[in-house]
Amino acid sequence: MTIHFELNGRKATWEVEPGETLLDALRRHEITSVKNGCDTASCSTCTVLLDGKPVPSCAVPVCRVDGHAVMTVEGVPETARRLGELLAAEGADQCGFCSPGLVMSVVAMTDEMDDPSDAEINAYLSGNMCRCSGYVSQTRAIRKYLEVKS
Amino acid sequence: MGVRTYHKPTSLAEAAGLLAADKNAAIIGGGAFLRLGARTFETAIDLFDADLDYIRETDDGLELGAMATYRMLETDPLVRTYADGVIARAVERIVGVQMRNIVTVGGTVFGRYAFSNLTTALLALDADVVLHTAGRLPLSEFLSRKPDRSDVLGAVVLPRNAGRAAWQDLSRTTNDYAVLNVCAAVRDDLRVVVGARPGLARFCPAAASAAAAGGDDAPARAGEAAAAELEFGDDLRASADYRRRLCRVLVERAVKEVLS
Repeated sequence: MTIHFELNGRKATWEVEPGETLLDALRRHEITSVKNGCDTASCSTCTVLLDGKPVPSCAVPVCRVDGHAVMTVEGVPETARRLGELLAAEGADQCGFCSPGLVMSVVAMTDEMDDPSDAEINAYLSGNMCRCSGYVSQTRAIRKYLEVKS
Repeated sequence: MGVRTYHKPTSLAEAAGLLAADKNAAIIGGGAFLRLGARTFETAIDLFDADLDYIRETDDGLELGAMATYRMLETDPLVRTYADGVIARAVERIVGVQMRNIVTVGGTVFGRYAFSNLTTALLALDADVVLHTAGRLPLSEFLSRKPDRSDVLGAVVLPRNAGRAAWQDLSRTTNDYAVLNVCAAVRDDLRVVVGARPGLARFCPAAASAAAAGGDDAPARAGEAAAAELEFGDDLRASADYRRRLCRVLVERAVKEVLS
């Protein structure tokens, strides 16, 4: 079926399968920042923003986004670059597989919360799994990102 | 996820009409478990655009639309202050923000998930469900009926007079489903509900009676009564024996808190 939606600020018209997930459809259309980490909606690696809210794209039927707005890392290049540099500087990006989902989650968090505490940051991002680090380096990078941002 | 035809009705009535017109159609709720299930939907009906993602105060009480998400529950000021905020406490640690943005009130209640924290809280708070065809009925009655997949859940309604409530649960890791969950609530009288036993949430009338007898040891006696009156089972998270011991402690804590 045909869906019309907004992808990273631009109008998009896609032919999709009725049973396809948003994750699979995005990757099929070469939006490859969005990763399939766990295939069970547990790891948040596939996080994208749907109408501004972070969602696991592996658990969203692509037909649902018809008439709505989807944002991936490709739509926030400036934030991705700055946060990516900070994550690298703190040694937080090892394999990097979880970074796009983490970046989108941080984008949503900064939209929802002003000046979050470390406890609030950890609670907000507790669904974002990373199998390389111990999360401490990510928290340092995110803290620096928020300080620079404010 | 096998789906042959996908519909996005723009109202509850349209959804009910689509469901009635096709015996192979099903409402998909939030869709959180779609990818995990092997089930094939001949016709999937998605309520995402049906204007059911609301939380509002009405003359009857606090109404939660079927497509209100867990994230909406945990951030909504009305829900956060209703009955000592137990609904927000019940859902705010489940999986992650991303999942809580797609898991819905209607999907949880209609799905009768035994591990659900939300169902335990809603039962203790005397919630009603509002179905398109069957109309309004108590959640406890809905859960005891045979599932009727030809009807559509539009909302859950919490009574205007919220009363007090306390929440207790234990999970093996912060974001995991609970090994056991407990909600104790008082409006006119005390109600104790225990869920994730791992069976569906149940009222504990003996625990409520034990607590009503009063005295300093009323919470402890309520805990013992709940552990004795309920059935527990083994699953990958815990054994029946562990759950029985946990039930005694969590019910005692919840009753103590709600009566304090």
